[in-house]
Amino acid sequence: MNHEPLTPPNDQGAVNGDLLAGRLVRLTAFNPEADAVLIAGWSRDTEYHRLGDDGWAYPQSVKQVRERLERHSDRSFGFAIRTLSDDRLIGDIGVWIESWVHREGWVGIGIGERGYWGNGYGTDAMRLVLRFAFAELNLQRVSLGVYAYNPRAQRSYEKAGFRHEGVVRGDCHRDGRHWDSVFMGILRDEWLAMIDDQ
Amino acid sequence: MDSNLFCGQLVRLSAINPATDAEAFARWEVDSEYMRQLDSGPHLPHPIKKIKEGIEKEQQEDPNTVAFSVRTLADDKLIGFVAFDGINWQHGDTFVAIGIGDPAYRGNGYGTDAMCVMLRYGFMELNLQRIQLDAFSYNERAIKSYLKAGFVLEGQQRGTLLRNGRRWDFVYMGVLREEWLAMHNEP
Repeated sequence: MNHEPLTPPNDQGAVNGDLLAGRLVRLTAFNPEADAVLIAGWSRDTEYHRLGDDGWAYPQSVKQVRERLERHSDRSFGFAIRTLSDDRLIGDIGVWIESWVHREGWVGIGIGERGYWGNGYGTDAMRLVLRFAFAELNLQRVSLGVYAYNPRAQRSYEKAGFRHEGVVRGDCHRDGRHWDSVFMGILRDEWLAMIDDQ
Repeated sequence: MDSNLFCGQLVRLSAINPATDAEAFARWEVDSEYMRQLDSGPHLPHPIKKIKEGIEKEQQEDPNTVAFSVRTLADDKLIGFVAFDGINWQHGDTFVAIGIGDPAYRGNGYGTDAMCVMLRYGFMELNLQRIQLDAFSYNERAIKSYLKAGFVLEGQQRGTLLRNGRRWDFVYMGVLREEWLAMHNEP
């Protein structure tokens, strides 16, 4: 009987390696008490908010953030993104299981600390969460949505292995202009081929 | 893709209606033979109210259980239940449990038919990789039924159960997706 190999065929995904440590960052649990203060601070930054969310920018209190971090769901796998060099919290990332039957997950990421934008930290975190999604959760497909006014994120997602799949035209209205929602995705086979090449 | 996944040759799988089905579930539990074949714990029948509340809670809160009542195709009579419980979605495996509560329908292929429908549902609708169960070595009729449905004997945990002064084994059985697909000529 032919089984798919249980592990991706190189050390990137070896069963006994640390799935959640990359080149620049590692994915860890939240420490709700301490982390909520920093994350609530990021919510004061409207540009940060608009890059990641279609809702209206609105600051969140430390209490609201802490309660969100403390909520658990068996379909949601959320991580704090911390630097390898000094264990500093710089962002958050998570996989939401859209369907276990079809094995599809959606990812969302935000780098809240502006000093870490545009330097590969987000891409590194996204690569880790894809490894978690495919090698640990055994998903078949990972999807995301991003706004047309965020080309930096789109480039990062492409580097991590996502492909453009389509747009919903003009469904986001910011500062008097309408922008497209861009949908991107990566299939298990594409991910396996990609890590094989590395 | 066209046939009704819920229907077999003799039975269909239907939703469990806690309001109307709990009475039958409670009636079956009074039968110690049924309970000893179903469960290794001490035989203790539950009141209707408790059973009803248990079903309601499971339906509302447990995404890792998929349970059906088993009804005859001939006259829609409620004769048993079948359930996946403890579905592990990450690895795609689950336990399955079945009970034919109405003694008149035991030993006549109804349970085997219900299990076959449940396996098809598990592999073709839930896309599972593996379905497993444990049976008790004194329940030879069930083991024969599971073999007919496609399960393979995987191992025995010896002498785990003490019933009527004798030791009996836990019998582990399982069926893999590839085995089931080959058995049913599915791609």
